[in-house]
Amino acid sequence: MESHPSYKSLSEILPRYPQTAGSIFQTFNDITLAQQWTDVEVIDLPVISRCVFRGRRPKLNPLLYVVPCSLSESLSISWFDEAFDNLGKPDQVYLAINTPDSSIVYYKITPGIVKPPV
Amino acid sequence: MDSPSERAIELRISNNKAYVWDVEDLALLRAKHHICGVLTGTLPHVSQQNVFLGMPLVLMPEEVVLLVENGLAVLVDDPTAHRKPSRSELEKWNTERRALVKTQLVKEGAKEGGGVSAPTGSRSMSEEAIRKRKAREEKRAAAKSPAEGGEDTPVFVPSTPAQAQATVPVAENSNLAHATYTITVPANSASELGWYSPEDYKYSTVKAAMQAGIWSYPSSAHERAKCKVFQDLWKKGHYMGGGIKFGGDYLVYPGDPLRYHSHFVASVIDSPAATISPMEIVAHGRLGTATKKAHLLCNWDEEKQTVSYYSVEWAGFG
Repeated sequence: MESHPSYKSLSEILPRYPQTAGSIFQTFNDITLAQQWTDVEVIDLPVISRCVFRGRRPKLNPLLYVVPCSLSESLSISWFDEAFDNLGKPDQVYLAINTPDSSIVYYKITPGIVKPPV
Repeated sequence: MDSPSERAIELRISNNKAYVWDVEDLALLRAKHHICGVLTGTLPHVSQQNVFLGMPLVLMPEEVVLLVENGLAVLVDDPTAHRKPSRSELEKWNTERRALVKTQLVKEGAKEGGGVSAPTGSRSMSEEAIRKRKAREEKRAAAKSPAEGGEDTPVFVPSTPAQAQATVPVAENSNLAHATYTITVPANSASELGWYSPEDYKYSTVKAAMQAGIWSYPSSAHERAKCKVFQDLWKKGHYMGGGIKFGGDYLVYPGDPLRYHSHFVASVIDSPAATISPMEIVAHGRLGTATKKAHLLCNWDEEKQTVSYYSVEWAGFG
Protein backbone atom coordinates (compact mmCIF):
# COMPACT_ATOMS: atom_id res chain seq x y z
CA MET A 1 0.00 0.00 0.00
CA GLU A 2 2.84 2.39 0.94
CA SER A 3 4.40 2.08 -2.55
CA HIS A 4 1.11 2.90 -4.34
CA PRO A 5 1.13 6.31 -6.09
CA SER A 6 -2.05 7.29 -4.21
CA TYR A 7 -0.55 6.62 -0.82
CA LYS A 8 1.14 10.00 -0.56
CA SER A 9 -2.21 11.86 -0.35
CA LEU A 10 -3.39 9.62 2.50
CA SER A 11 -0.11 8.99 4.32
CA GLU A 12 -1.11 11.17 7.28
CA ILE A 13 -4.61 9.70 7.68
CA LEU A 14 -4.20 5.97 7.13
CA PRO A 15 -1.92 5.16 10.12
CA ARG A 16 -4.44 6.86 12.41
CA TYR A 17 -7.37 4.62 11.43
CA PRO A 18 -6.10 1.08 10.91
CA GLN A 19 -9.68 -0.30 11.15
CA THR A 20 -10.98 1.73 8.23
CA ALA A 21 -7.72 2.26 6.29
CA GLY A 22 -8.65 -0.37 3.71
CA SER A 23 -12.02 1.23 2.89
CA ILE A 24 -10.51 4.72 2.84
CA PHE A 25 -7.70 3.72 0.45
CA GLN A 26 -10.02 1.71 -1.80
CA THR A 27 -12.59 4.51 -2.03
CA PHE A 28 -9.97 7.17 -2.72
CA ASN A 29 -8.56 5.15 -5.59
CA ASP A 30 -12.02 4.49 -7.01
CA ILE A 31 -13.26 8.09 -7.02
CA THR A 32 -9.98 9.59 -8.28
CA LEU A 33 -8.98 6.90 -10.79
CA ALA A 34 -12.13 5.04 -11.87
CA GLN A 35 -14.85 7.69 -11.35
CA GLN A 36 -12.50 10.52 -12.40
CA TRP A 37 -13.55 12.97 -9.67
CA THR A 38 -11.69 16.27 -9.53
CA ASP A 39 -10.64 18.64 -6.72
CA VAL A 40 -10.72 15.75 -4.25
CA GLU A 41 -9.91 16.84 -0.70
CA VAL A 42 -9.35 14.72 2.37
CA ILE A 43 -11.36 15.73 5.45
CA ASP A 44 -10.43 14.13 8.75
CA LEU A 45 -13.48 13.04 10.78
CA PRO A 46 -12.26 11.54 14.08
CA VAL A 47 -15.82 11.08 15.51
CA ILE A 48 -16.43 8.27 13.07
CA SER A 49 -12.77 7.13 12.94
CA ARG A 50 -12.08 7.81 9.30
CA CYS A 51 -11.62 10.52 6.74
CA VAL A 52 -14.22 11.74 4.27
CA PHE A 53 -13.61 12.94 0.72
CA ARG A 54 -15.00 16.04 -0.93
CA GLY A 55 -14.81 16.56 -4.66
CA ARG A 56 -16.63 17.03 -7.95
CA ARG A 57 -18.01 14.43 -10.32
CA PRO A 58 -16.86 14.79 -13.93
CA LYS A 59 -18.63 17.69 -15.68
CA LEU A 60 -20.67 18.48 -12.55
CA ASN A 61 -20.08 21.52 -10.40
CA PRO A 62 -21.43 20.76 -6.89
CA LEU A 63 -19.01 19.64 -4.20
CA LEU A 64 -20.05 16.21 -3.01
CA TYR A 65 -19.11 14.24 0.08
CA VAL A 66 -18.13 10.59 0.10
CA VAL A 67 -18.02 8.61 3.34
CA PRO A 68 -16.13 5.31 3.02
CA CYS A 69 -17.19 2.26 5.01
CA SER A 70 -16.82 -1.49 4.87
CA LEU A 71 -19.66 -3.92 4.17
CA SER A 72 -19.00 -5.63 7.49
CA GLU A 73 -19.26 -2.51 9.66
CA SER A 74 -22.19 -1.82 11.94
CA LEU A 75 -23.67 1.61 11.30
CA SER A 76 -26.52 3.38 13.08
CA ILE A 77 -28.68 6.48 12.88
CA SER A 78 -26.49 8.26 15.45
CA TRP A 79 -23.46 7.43 13.28
CA PHE A 80 -25.16 9.17 10.34
CA ASP A 81 -26.13 12.09 12.60
CA GLU A 82 -22.53 12.58 13.70
CA ALA A 83 -21.18 12.39 10.16
CA PHE A 84 -23.67 15.00 8.93
CA ASP A 85 -23.19 17.29 11.93
CA ASN A 86 -19.39 17.25 11.65
CA LEU A 87 -19.47 17.92 7.93
CA GLY A 88 -21.54 21.06 8.46
CA LYS A 89 -24.91 19.52 7.53
CA PRO A 90 -24.54 19.02 3.77
CA ASP A 91 -27.71 18.29 1.71
CA GLN A 92 -26.57 14.73 1.14
CA VAL A 93 -23.60 12.41 1.39
CA TYR A 94 -22.59 9.39 -0.64
CA LEU A 95 -21.88 6.28 1.37
CA ALA A 96 -19.16 4.22 -0.32
CA ILE A 97 -19.65 0.60 0.74
CA ASN A 98 -16.46 -1.46 0.23
CA THR A 99 -16.32 -5.24 -0.09
CA PRO A 100 -13.25 -7.46 0.42
CA ASP A 101 -13.03 -8.15 -3.35
CA SER A 102 -12.51 -4.37 -3.85
CA SER A 103 -15.88 -3.71 -5.50
CA ILE A 104 -17.60 -0.57 -4.25
CA VAL A 105 -21.20 0.58 -4.32
CA TYR A 106 -22.31 4.14 -3.64
CA TYR A 107 -25.61 5.08 -1.98
CA LYS A 108 -26.98 8.57 -1.57
CA ILE A 109 -28.12 9.33 1.98
CA THR A 110 -30.29 12.43 2.43
CA PRO A 111 -31.60 13.69 5.77
CA GLY A 112 -35.38 14.03 5.89
CA ILE A 113 -38.14 12.77 3.61
CA VAL A 114 -36.91 13.51 0.10
CA LYS A 115 -38.85 12.42 -2.97
CA PRO A 116 -36.92 10.41 -5.55
CA PRO A 117 -36.38 12.12 -8.93
CA VAL A 118 -39.18 11.34 -11.40
CA MET B 1 -77.14 13.77 15.32
CA ASP B 2 -73.36 14.03 15.33
CA SER B 3 -71.79 15.12 12.09
CA PRO B 4 -70.33 12.00 10.47
CA SER B 5 -66.73 13.15 10.96
CA GLU B 6 -67.08 13.58 14.71
CA ARG B 7 -68.47 10.21 15.70
CA ALA B 8 -66.00 7.67 17.01
CA ILE B 9 -65.88 4.64 14.76
CA GLU B 10 -66.48 1.30 16.48
CA LEU B 11 -63.61 -1.05 15.72
CA ARG B 12 -64.71 -4.59 16.48
CA ILE B 13 -61.94 -6.55 18.12
CA SER B 14 -61.76 -10.28 17.83
CA ASN B 15 -58.63 -12.28 18.61
CA ASN B 16 -56.49 -9.10 18.77
CA LYS B 17 -57.52 -7.99 15.31
CA ALA B 18 -59.61 -4.93 14.52
CA TYR B 19 -62.42 -5.27 11.99
CA VAL B 20 -64.68 -2.69 10.36
CA TRP B 21 -68.00 -4.14 9.22
CA ASP B 22 -69.83 -1.00 8.17
CA VAL B 23 -69.27 0.52 4.73
CA GLU B 24 -70.00 4.00 6.09
CA ASP B 25 -67.17 3.56 8.59
CA LEU B 26 -64.82 2.42 5.84
CA ALA B 27 -65.61 5.51 3.79
CA LEU B 28 -65.10 7.79 6.78
CA LEU B 29 -61.80 6.14 7.70
CA ARG B 30 -60.45 6.46 4.20
CA ALA B 31 -61.75 9.84 3.10
CA LYS B 32 -61.53 11.73 6.36
CA HIS B 33 -58.86 9.99 8.42
CA HIS B 34 -56.55 8.74 5.63
CA ILE B 35 -56.63 5.23 7.03
CA CYS B 36 -56.95 2.49 4.41
CA GLY B 37 -56.79 -0.92 6.11
CA VAL B 38 -57.14 -4.01 3.98
CA LEU B 39 -60.37 -5.64 2.75
CA THR B 40 -60.42 -9.32 3.64
CA GLY B 41 -63.98 -10.50 3.13
CA THR B 42 -64.46 -13.25 0.59
CA LEU B 43 -67.26 -15.62 -0.36
CA PRO B 44 -67.53 -18.66 1.90
CA HIS B 45 -67.77 -21.11 -0.99
CA VAL B 46 -65.00 -19.54 -3.11
CA SER B 47 -62.56 -18.50 -0.42
CA GLN B 48 -59.62 -19.00 -2.77
CA GLN B 49 -60.72 -16.05 -4.88
CA ASN B 50 -58.81 -13.10 -3.45
CA VAL B 51 -58.76 -10.61 -6.31
CA PHE B 52 -61.90 -8.75 -5.32
CA LEU B 53 -62.43 -8.71 -1.60
CA GLY B 54 -65.15 -7.04 0.44
CA MET B 55 -66.09 -6.33 4.04
CA PRO B 56 -64.78 -6.70 6.65
CA LEU B 57 -61.87 -4.31 6.58
CA VAL B 58 -58.93 -5.34 8.76
CA LEU B 59 -56.75 -2.59 10.16
CA MET B 60 -53.03 -2.72 10.87
CA PRO B 61 -52.39 -2.53 14.62
CA GLU B 62 -50.57 0.80 14.14
CA GLU B 63 -53.70 2.19 12.47
CA VAL B 64 -55.83 1.04 15.39
CA VAL B 65 -53.54 2.65 17.99
CA LEU B 66 -53.46 5.89 16.00
CA LEU B 67 -57.25 6.07 15.66
CA VAL B 68 -57.88 5.36 19.33
CA GLU B 69 -55.18 7.73 20.59
CA ASN B 70 -56.64 10.52 18.47
CA GLY B 71 -60.18 9.86 19.70
CA LEU B 72 -61.37 8.85 16.22
CA ALA B 73 -62.32 5.30 17.15
CA VAL B 74 -63.21 3.09 20.10
CA LEU B 75 -62.50 -0.60 20.54
CA VAL B 76 -65.40 -3.01 21.02
CA ASP B 77 -64.94 -6.41 22.63
CA ASP B 78 -67.02 -8.04 19.92
CA PRO B 79 -67.35 -11.67 21.04
CA THR B 80 -68.48 -10.56 24.52
CA ALA B 81 -70.84 -7.93 23.12
CA HIS B 82 -72.84 -10.78 21.58
CA ARG B 83 -74.48 -12.07 24.74
CA LYS B 84 -76.45 -15.31 24.85
CA PRO B 85 -79.85 -14.63 23.29
CA SER B 86 -82.99 -15.34 25.32
CA ARG B 87 -85.57 -17.81 24.06
CA SER B 88 -87.99 -15.07 23.04
CA GLU B 89 -85.26 -13.19 21.15
CA LEU B 90 -84.34 -16.34 19.30
CA GLU B 91 -87.96 -17.06 18.49
CA LYS B 92 -88.40 -13.54 17.16
CA TRP B 93 -85.27 -13.93 15.06
CA ASN B 94 -86.50 -17.25 13.76
CA THR B 95 -89.95 -15.89 12.91
CA GLU B 96 -88.43 -13.01 10.97
CA ARG B 97 -86.14 -15.37 9.14
CA ARG B 98 -89.07 -17.63 8.22
CA ALA B 99 -91.11 -14.69 7.04
CA LEU B 100 -88.25 -13.63 4.81
CA VAL B 101 -88.01 -17.11 3.32
CA LYS B 102 -91.75 -17.19 2.78
CA THR B 103 -91.65 -13.85 0.96
CA GLN B 104 -88.94 -15.19 -1.28
CA LEU B 105 -90.89 -18.36 -2.02
CA VAL B 106 -94.06 -16.45 -2.79
CA LYS B 107 -92.16 -14.21 -5.20
CA GLU B 108 -90.49 -17.21 -6.78
CA GLY B 109 -93.83 -18.99 -7.06
CA ALA B 110 -95.49 -15.97 -8.66
CA LYS B 111 -92.70 -15.82 -11.23
CA GLU B 112 -93.29 -19.44 -12.20
CA GLY B 113 -97.04 -18.97 -12.22
CA GLY B 114 -97.56 -21.49 -9.47
CA GLY B 115 -98.39 -21.30 -5.79
CA VAL B 116 -96.08 -21.44 -2.80
CA SER B 117 -95.67 -25.12 -3.46
CA ALA B 118 -94.14 -24.50 -6.88
CA PRO B 119 -90.51 -25.02 -5.92
CA THR B 120 -91.30 -28.47 -4.62
CA GLY B 121 -93.37 -29.33 -7.63
CA SER B 122 -90.83 -28.08 -10.12
CA ARG B 123 -88.19 -30.27 -8.64
CA SER B 124 -88.12 -33.48 -10.67
CA MET B 125 -87.87 -35.84 -7.76
CA SER B 126 -88.50 -39.49 -8.33
CA GLU B 127 -90.76 -41.49 -6.06
CA GLU B 128 -87.76 -43.44 -4.95
CA ALA B 129 -85.83 -40.33 -3.89
CA ILE B 130 -88.77 -39.00 -1.89
CA ARG B 131 -89.15 -42.32 -0.12
CA LYS B 132 -85.45 -42.43 0.77
CA ARG B 133 -85.44 -38.86 2.07
CA LYS B 134 -88.43 -39.58 4.31
CA ALA B 135 -86.66 -42.57 5.77
CA ARG B 136 -83.58 -40.46 6.49
CA GLU B 137 -85.61 -37.77 8.21
CA GLU B 138 -87.38 -40.30 10.39
CA LYS B 139 -84.08 -41.82 11.38
CA ARG B 140 -82.69 -38.40 12.33
CA ALA B 141 -85.75 -37.52 14.38
CA ALA B 142 -85.46 -40.83 16.22
CA ALA B 143 -81.80 -40.18 17.01
CA LYS B 144 -82.55 -36.74 18.36
CA SER B 145 -85.43 -37.57 20.71
CA PRO B 146 -83.36 -38.83 23.68
CA ALA B 147 -81.88 -35.31 24.09
CA GLU B 148 -85.38 -33.84 24.32
CA GLY B 149 -85.93 -31.32 27.08
CA GLY B 150 -82.22 -31.09 27.95
CA GLU B 151 -80.78 -27.67 28.84
CA ASP B 152 -77.95 -28.04 26.34
CA THR B 153 -79.99 -28.30 23.17
CA PRO B 154 -78.30 -26.29 20.42
CA VAL B 155 -79.52 -22.70 20.28
CA PHE B 156 -80.63 -22.80 16.70
CA VAL B 157 -83.03 -25.70 17.24
CA PRO B 158 -85.78 -23.58 18.76
CA SER B 159 -87.80 -26.49 20.13
CA THR B 160 -88.10 -30.24 19.96
CA PRO B 161 -89.24 -31.66 16.63
CA ALA B 162 -92.68 -32.40 18.03
CA GLN B 163 -93.21 -28.79 19.14
CA ALA B 164 -91.93 -27.44 15.87
CA GLN B 165 -94.53 -29.54 14.10
CA ALA B 166 -97.17 -28.01 16.26
CA THR B 167 -96.24 -24.35 15.74
CA VAL B 168 -95.55 -24.53 12.01
CA PRO B 169 -98.21 -25.95 9.72
CA VAL B 170 -97.07 -29.23 8.28
CA ALA B 171 -97.42 -28.12 4.68
CA GLU B 172 -95.28 -25.02 5.16
CA ASN B 173 -92.65 -26.94 7.03
CA SER B 174 -92.15 -29.41 4.24
CA ASN B 175 -91.97 -26.52 1.76
CA LEU B 176 -89.11 -24.93 3.66
CA ALA B 177 -87.27 -28.21 3.79
CA HIS B 178 -87.44 -28.79 0.04
CA ALA B 179 -87.45 -25.32 -1.44
CA THR B 180 -84.39 -23.33 -2.42
CA TYR B 181 -84.01 -19.83 -1.01
CA THR B 182 -81.27 -17.38 -0.17
CA ILE B 183 -80.10 -16.86 3.38
CA THR B 184 -78.86 -13.33 3.97
CA VAL B 185 -76.18 -13.07 6.62
CA PRO B 186 -76.10 -9.49 7.90
CA ALA B 187 -72.64 -7.87 7.91
CA ASN B 188 -73.60 -5.67 10.80
CA SER B 189 -74.71 -7.18 14.12
CA ALA B 190 -75.89 -3.86 15.52
CA SER B 191 -78.97 -3.45 13.36
CA GLU B 192 -79.95 -7.11 13.06
CA LEU B 193 -79.35 -8.92 16.30
CA GLY B 194 -81.30 -8.00 19.42
CA TRP B 195 -78.73 -9.61 21.70
CA TYR B 196 -75.82 -7.52 20.44
CA SER B 197 -75.01 -4.75 22.92
CA PRO B 198 -71.63 -3.12 22.27
CA GLU B 199 -72.34 -0.22 24.66
CA ASP B 200 -71.05 -2.04 27.73
CA TYR B 201 -67.93 -3.34 26.03
CA LYS B 202 -66.43 -0.22 24.50
CA TYR B 203 -62.91 0.99 25.29
CA SER B 204 -61.81 4.47 24.35
CA THR B 205 -58.13 4.10 25.28
CA VAL B 206 -55.54 1.51 24.30
CA LYS B 207 -54.64 1.09 27.96
CA ALA B 208 -58.20 0.24 28.99
CA ALA B 209 -58.50 -2.27 26.14
CA MET B 210 -55.22 -3.85 27.23
CA GLN B 211 -56.44 -4.12 30.81
CA ALA B 212 -59.62 -5.74 29.58
CA GLY B 213 -57.42 -8.27 27.79
CA ILE B 214 -58.75 -7.69 24.26
CA TRP B 215 -55.80 -5.79 22.81
CA SER B 216 -52.03 -6.14 23.18
CA TYR B 217 -50.36 -3.73 20.71
CA PRO B 218 -47.84 -2.12 21.22
CA SER B 219 -46.15 -4.42 23.69
CA SER B 220 -42.45 -4.04 22.80
CA ALA B 221 -39.98 -1.24 22.07
CA HIS B 222 -40.11 -2.08 18.37
CA GLU B 223 -43.92 -1.98 18.28
CA ARG B 224 -43.95 1.34 20.15
CA ALA B 225 -41.43 2.76 17.67
CA LYS B 226 -43.63 1.58 14.80
CA CYS B 227 -46.68 3.32 16.28
CA LYS B 228 -44.74 6.58 16.72
CA VAL B 229 -43.31 6.51 13.19
CA PHE B 230 -46.72 5.64 11.72
CA GLN B 231 -48.35 8.50 13.63
CA ASP B 232 -45.66 10.98 12.53
CA LEU B 233 -45.95 10.06 8.84
CA TRP B 234 -49.76 10.24 9.11
CA LYS B 235 -49.59 13.70 10.69
CA LYS B 236 -47.44 14.86 7.78
CA GLY B 237 -50.38 13.95 5.51
CA HIS B 238 -49.12 10.69 4.06
CA TYR B 239 -51.21 7.56 3.49
CA MET B 240 -49.59 4.30 4.56
CA GLY B 241 -50.04 0.74 3.38
CA GLY B 242 -48.28 -2.49 4.26
CA GLY B 243 -44.70 -2.61 3.01
CA ILE B 244 -44.20 -6.33 2.60
CA LYS B 245 -44.20 -6.18 -1.20
CA PHE B 246 -41.12 -3.97 -1.14
CA GLY B 247 -39.35 -5.35 1.90
CA GLY B 248 -40.20 -2.55 4.32
CA ASP B 249 -42.62 -1.86 7.15
CA TYR B 250 -44.82 0.57 5.19
CA LEU B 251 -45.38 1.97 1.76
CA VAL B 252 -45.77 5.73 1.99
CA TYR B 253 -48.17 7.40 -0.46
CA PRO B 254 -48.59 11.13 -1.07
CA GLY B 255 -52.39 10.68 -1.31
CA ASP B 256 -55.00 7.95 -1.54
CA PRO B 257 -53.28 4.76 -2.79
CA LEU B 258 -56.03 4.40 -5.40
CA ARG B 259 -54.82 7.63 -6.99
CA TYR B 260 -51.07 7.65 -6.38
CA HIS B 261 -48.05 5.39 -6.54
CA SER B 262 -46.04 5.28 -3.35
CA HIS B 263 -42.91 7.41 -3.24
CA PHE B 264 -41.27 5.66 -0.32
CA VAL B 265 -40.71 2.30 1.29
CA ALA B 266 -40.29 2.92 5.01
CA SER B 267 -38.51 0.78 7.56
CA VAL B 268 -38.68 1.53 11.26
CA ILE B 269 -35.57 1.70 13.43
CA ASP B 270 -36.15 1.42 17.16
CA SER B 271 -33.44 3.77 18.41
CA PRO B 272 -30.54 5.94 17.20
CA ALA B 273 -28.10 3.31 18.49
CA ALA B 274 -29.73 0.35 16.71
CA THR B 275 -27.40 -1.39 14.28
CA ILE B 276 -27.86 -0.81 10.56
CA SER B 277 -25.88 -3.11 8.30
CA PRO B 278 -24.54 -1.56 5.07
CA MET B 279 -26.06 -4.60 3.34
CA GLU B 280 -29.54 -3.35 4.37
CA ILE B 281 -28.80 0.00 2.78
CA VAL B 282 -27.77 -1.70 -0.46
CA ALA B 283 -30.79 -4.01 -0.49
CA HIS B 284 -33.33 -1.32 0.35
CA GLY B 285 -31.69 1.37 -1.73
CA ARG B 286 -31.36 -0.68 -4.87
CA LEU B 287 -34.90 -2.09 -4.76
CA GLY B 288 -36.31 1.36 -4.11
CA THR B 289 -34.43 2.90 -7.01
CA ALA B 290 -35.51 0.10 -9.36
CA THR B 291 -39.15 0.79 -8.46
CA LYS B 292 -38.81 4.62 -8.55
CA LYS B 293 -39.09 4.88 -4.79
CA ALA B 294 -36.68 6.12 -2.18
CA HIS B 295 -36.16 4.08 0.94
CA LEU B 296 -36.94 5.83 4.21
CA LEU B 297 -35.06 4.92 7.36
CA CYS B 298 -37.44 6.08 10.09
CA ASN B 299 -35.89 6.44 13.49
CA TRP B 300 -37.73 6.79 16.78
CA ASP B 301 -35.79 8.55 19.52
CA GLU B 302 -37.42 7.67 22.84
CA GLU B 303 -35.28 10.19 24.75
CA LYS B 304 -36.11 13.18 22.58
CA GLN B 305 -39.59 11.83 21.68
CA THR B 306 -38.96 12.61 18.02
CA VAL B 307 -38.97 10.80 14.71
CA SER B 308 -36.17 11.50 12.23
CA TYR B 309 -35.74 10.33 8.66
CA TYR B 310 -33.00 9.52 6.19
CA SER B 311 -33.83 8.87 2.53
CA VAL B 312 -31.68 6.27 0.76
CA GLU B 313 -31.19 5.98 -2.99
CA TRP B 314 -28.65 4.42 -5.29
CA ALA B 315 -26.05 7.06 -6.16
CA GLY B 316 -26.21 6.45 -9.89
CA PHE B 317 -22.51 5.69 -10.31
CA GLY B 318 -19.99 3.13 -9.14
